[in-house]
Amino acid sequence: MEFLWDGLQQAIDLLLSGDDEVLGIVGVTLRMAFWSTLIALALGLPLGLVLGLGRFRGRGAGLALANAGMGLPPVIVGLVVALLLFRGAPLGGLNLLYTLEGVIVAQAVLSLPVVVALTAAAVQSLPDGLLDQARAFGASRRAVGLLALREARIGVLAATIAAVGSAFAEVGAVVLVGGNIDGQTQTLASAVLVRVSAGEYGRAIALGIVLLGLVLVLAAVLTVLQQRRPRAALGRPS
Amino acid sequence: MTTLLEARGLTARRGGREVLRGVDLELRAGEVVAILGPNGAGKSTLLAVLAGLLPATCGAMERRARVATALQAGALADRSALANVEAALRWWGVPRAARRHRAEAALAALGAGHLAARRAVALSGGEARRVHLARALALEAGVLLLDEPFSGLDAPARADLLEDAGAALAHPGRAVAVVLHDRAEAWALADRVLVLLGGRPAAAGPTREVLERPATPEVAAFLGFSGRLELHGGGVRMLRPSHAALDPAGDVEATVVRRIPVEEGFRLELALPGGRLHAPAPLDAPGPGDVVRLRLTGGVTFPHI
Repeated sequence: MEFLWDGLQQAIDLLLSGDDEVLGIVGVTLRMAFWSTLIALALGLPLGLVLGLGRFRGRGAGLALANAGMGLPPVIVGLVVALLLFRGAPLGGLNLLYTLEGVIVAQAVLSLPVVVALTAAAVQSLPDGLLDQARAFGASRRAVGLLALREARIGVLAATIAAVGSAFAEVGAVVLVGGNIDGQTQTLASAVLVRVSAGEYGRAIALGIVLLGLVLVLAAVLTVLQQRRPRAALGRPS
Repeated sequence: MTTLLEARGLTARRGGREVLRGVDLELRAGEVVAILGPNGAGKSTLLAVLAGLLPATCGAMERRARVATALQAGALADRSALANVEAALRWWGVPRAARRHRAEAALAALGAGHLAARRAVALSGGEARRVHLARALALEAGVLLLDEPFSGLDAPARADLLEDAGAALAHPGRAVAVVLHDRAEAWALADRVLVLLGGRPAAAGPTREVLERPATPEVAAFLGFSGRLELHGGGVRMLRPSHAALDPAGDVEATVVRRIPVEEGFRLELALPGGRLHAPAPLDAPGPGDVVRLRLTGGVTFPHI
């Protein structure tokens, strides 16, 4: 138990001293989470809307695929993305292997099915008649989609929280695609892995605490956004 | 009068079943037409076809004005009443500058001006229905289609809304078709009535004429002529409860079958030699098995069925 206590103390010292290395890793982690989530939302929201609201052949298969995609093993995704990015492989020309951009792509692939599946589920549970009425009033497809996203915002923000959370937590795909390079592709989670392997438990715990703090802060911000209600002038009449 | 929508021989299927057959309908500017019928008669299907939301499998339709439809389950978005009306105007293609004014005017016309800032979730059922109707009205469409705008409201809210809606709908340039299942609502709102029974047009004409002189016994039965007496010379006479009165000096003798409690006393189900009918009775009405005397006035007779 002694080393755990030592580790905790070391962690507090590191955090209090504002260690440059820690700040660098935090920066990489935030950039990776931000861009991968943005890409997943940009592609996933329209896809989720189409799968949730559309009426076409293959829609069920698409939904099943998105749901299955939420359980994609990150190591496998990392492996496939890494293989595709190898020099000589189909996407080798992009020179993304062992870069932060490559990591972002891999993480976006992991987040995409989460956003698609949760968005589709959220817009499907909107009350009957809300979107039909908008169509009957002449709303364009785009307007109907925006209305659906706005009305299903609790589910859409849940999808965003899940995507950000998975980006923060990801190790396997990050290491395989990014190579876990100090100062470039190393995120908090993958840095913890390295420190533990090297026996640096103090730094590992310190990084772990920072990671947990980030997760909590971002989840809190998004939850406030999610639960925000414009103040009603009057309460619900009984 | 300008005809804004004209439909001939409309037939439509839903779920592989033909639910509408051979309906003709003309909607003219300045007129309100009620589409009446029991549940499952095809009223909402007809409205969906007129609105262009459901394709007709047969028949021809010509629209000479833009058609706006207020669905029965037209849920409001989770924002203010005013924002909901403005959103409808945006979807309809009204420029931003004109939206606020038209939305406020429509809310006011339906007695919902004071609800403008209220969030949709904080509205009562009757208030939400007013906002829903206001957003349809605000579009100022040439043809306005309303699907059961008063369903699911309690009696006072319904009566209030019916009164306000009647005034708001009347507009010389607008044709309105409204699906109803209550003939009292049709009486209050409509210039003309189309009765659908089993997906087919069963009666059509000016409201008073259709309600008071139904074309067939089936239409009469649907319109509240619940009493039915076989006549000596063949044919049948159908009566509403209001056509029969308990009267010791009456010339018809009847036996009480059932007492049905209603608002101000009872409605008696009575057996006569020629059939059965209903009559209103006070709280101290006779009970089952008692023999009473009746005076019958009015009703409709059909020569042969």
